[in-house]
Amino acid sequence: MAHSPTKVTRLGSKLLAGAIVVTIGATSAVAQVAQPCIGASLELAGPLAHTGLQVRLGAETAIDEINAAGGVLGQKLKFIAYDDQGEPSRAVDNGRRIGEKDNCVAMVGGFRSPNALALREPIDEMGLPWVGVISAGTRVIEWEKGVNKWMFRVSMKDRWVGPFLVDEAKARSKSGKIGLMFEATGWGQGAVPDVEAAAVAKGLPLVGKETFNIGDQDMSAQLIRMRDAGADTLIMYVVDREANQILRSMERIGYKPTIVSAWGISSQLGKTAGALTDGILVAGTFAWNGDLTPRAKKVYEAMAAKFNLQSPNDILLPSGAANAYDGIYIIAEAIKLAGAFDRDKVREAFYKVKYEGLTAKFDPAFEKAAPGAIAERHDAIKPSQYRLLAFHENVLKAVEQTPFKR
Amino acid sequence: MEQILQFVLSGLSQGGIYALVAIGYYMMWAATKAANFTHGDIFMLGAVSTVILAGLGIPLPLAMPLAILLSAAAGALIERVAVRPFNQGPSSVGWMLTTIAIGLMMESAFTATYGPLGKPLYSPLAQSPIRISGTGIYPQELLIPVVAIAIMLALEIFYQRTIVGRAMLAVAANRIAAGLMGINVNRISMIAYAMAAGIGALAGILLAPVAEASPAMGALIGLKAFVIAIVAGMSSARGVVFVALAYGVLEKMIEGFISTGARNAIGFGVMILLLLIFPNGIFGKREVVKV
Repeated sequence: MAHSPTKVTRLGSKLLAGAIVVTIGATSAVAQVAQPCIGASLELAGPLAHTGLQVRLGAETAIDEINAAGGVLGQKLKFIAYDDQGEPSRAVDNGRRIGEKDNCVAMVGGFRSPNALALREPIDEMGLPWVGVISAGTRVIEWEKGVNKWMFRVSMKDRWVGPFLVDEAKARSKSGKIGLMFEATGWGQGAVPDVEAAAVAKGLPLVGKETFNIGDQDMSAQLIRMRDAGADTLIMYVVDREANQILRSMERIGYKPTIVSAWGISSQLGKTAGALTDGILVAGTFAWNGDLTPRAKKVYEAMAAKFNLQSPNDILLPSGAANAYDGIYIIAEAIKLAGAFDRDKVREAFYKVKYEGLTAKFDPAFEKAAPGAIAERHDAIKPSQYRLLAFHENVLKAVEQTPFKR
Repeated sequence: MEQILQFVLSGLSQGGIYALVAIGYYMMWAATKAANFTHGDIFMLGAVSTVILAGLGIPLPLAMPLAILLSAAAGALIERVAVRPFNQGPSSVGWMLTTIAIGLMMESAFTATYGPLGKPLYSPLAQSPIRISGTGIYPQELLIPVVAIAIMLALEIFYQRTIVGRAMLAVAANRIAAGLMGINVNRISMIAYAMAAGIGALAGILLAPVAEASPAMGALIGLKAFVIAIVAGMSSARGVVFVALAYGVLEKMIEGFISTGARNAIGFGVMILLLLIFPNGIFGKREVVKV
């Protein structure tokens, strides 16, 4: 038998509904005024824990500098880093914590593109400005569906890296025969269409495409095929461990092509592969080894003191650390322009930030869509600002400071 | 022809690593009828602890045996705390959980302390390759299958000519009867685990100069070596080494003539097929249980 609601229960329902409305209203009001903190979801433990550290190197050094100079809008900035262990689900949890519980004014992204992709929906829902400083996945910024309002990046973009590598490979190749070696991961496989299209556009179709698995110890089979195809220049999408094995395999079969690599290769390779790395070219945004500008030197000294670095070569992801440094400054500049710790205003201010960073001169950092156009530019570093680094004497330097400059 | 020679040489080197690790599974299975799933991590322990000891300034000729001894002690300890208490009945499987858990703990502990990245281990035999026509191999890699075969022969002599070796064979044949004959079965099992761990650690030390020493290096090799030991039949070191070397070459042929991506799928597929054809393993004997 069904009971009709009594007056008491109807009154209770109204009170409850009223309470919910008041609570939602209060929450929105709180969200309007964010806290002077910048959150981050990074790998701080696990097999790629060093990647989280690289972000901390740049971000915390920048925050220390900003706070030493008086902070932003009279308040000291705080950097809050949570560990996501490389898992997208944990990155989403961390993003929610940063956006809702900590109520930070902005968030910084870490190494893995899948984590950044998983954050797209919650970031959009919370209206939290997010600045990626390493993950280069094209779809992090260029969404297949919907409009990306909140995700920005101070890093490289895969769609732009492919043509950059092809240009360099073409310039370096004597025979005009270029091959592609890529790891069998989303990153490596995802790069193939971009590289192939760029190679065709340059009139140099790839003479070979070879893949390998993470953990492989001998790539002689793939390299013999590449050698027999006549490739004198190889474009690579590889990370340090497998890069070492590729170099070993090249040495085994006496094959010494020019290598032009995406930035999966880090300073670590010089430590493990030693002299075999000499001459390897790597796309990047910054190098800490070699001669530095007075400002970069000062930043390195602060990093070294804070994180007990023995040499610039201890910065394993040189571009990532520099991107993180610039990313924090761009957020701080946007807050200053916004005049408030207000996420909406900070987002709008991103398009007005003018700042000369370590990695590039941002003028402005990001751009709104031109009238009639669809896409906004949410990638701060343009492909024309990408740099070429090279291994020389086991360390990764700006190519201009090595014998491998063109 | 050049390619085939390269695949055979590289395959024998890889197979030699599988062989050294798989011999350990065979020894431990013979002693306790249990598989120690930390064995891949013991392989890692040998390599990583050598790098750590060398980093502390201990000369390599001393660091390597020290790492092997340390790993052997770890193997004995694992038998005592993670296998023996959980392997008291014919259907006990608790050792699976405990050994898998300890393996994961070891990997996590080394990732946190040693660092997640690989570190090089110096060997004069891994500095420049020997080139034959358009192929090549480091002397260090050639050494690996040679050591695997030498260990296999040494084990056969050990089993046949020493009291402890004969006791191990007796325990392998019938644990209860061996105990009734006065053999300290638990001690023999512990020695078998220690020896297996020492050989596994040696494999890690041999591989590290060409493949870096890292906390994650043992996971896949441990799994493949276990599969190899099962397919070989867990009944003789000779059978295990033969299957391991053949599997190493097969992997390289698949990589070379089909694709790298197909390596594990086809390789494991072949192993499953072999197990269907030889349910007791290629060199295994059907166990007769008298009731």
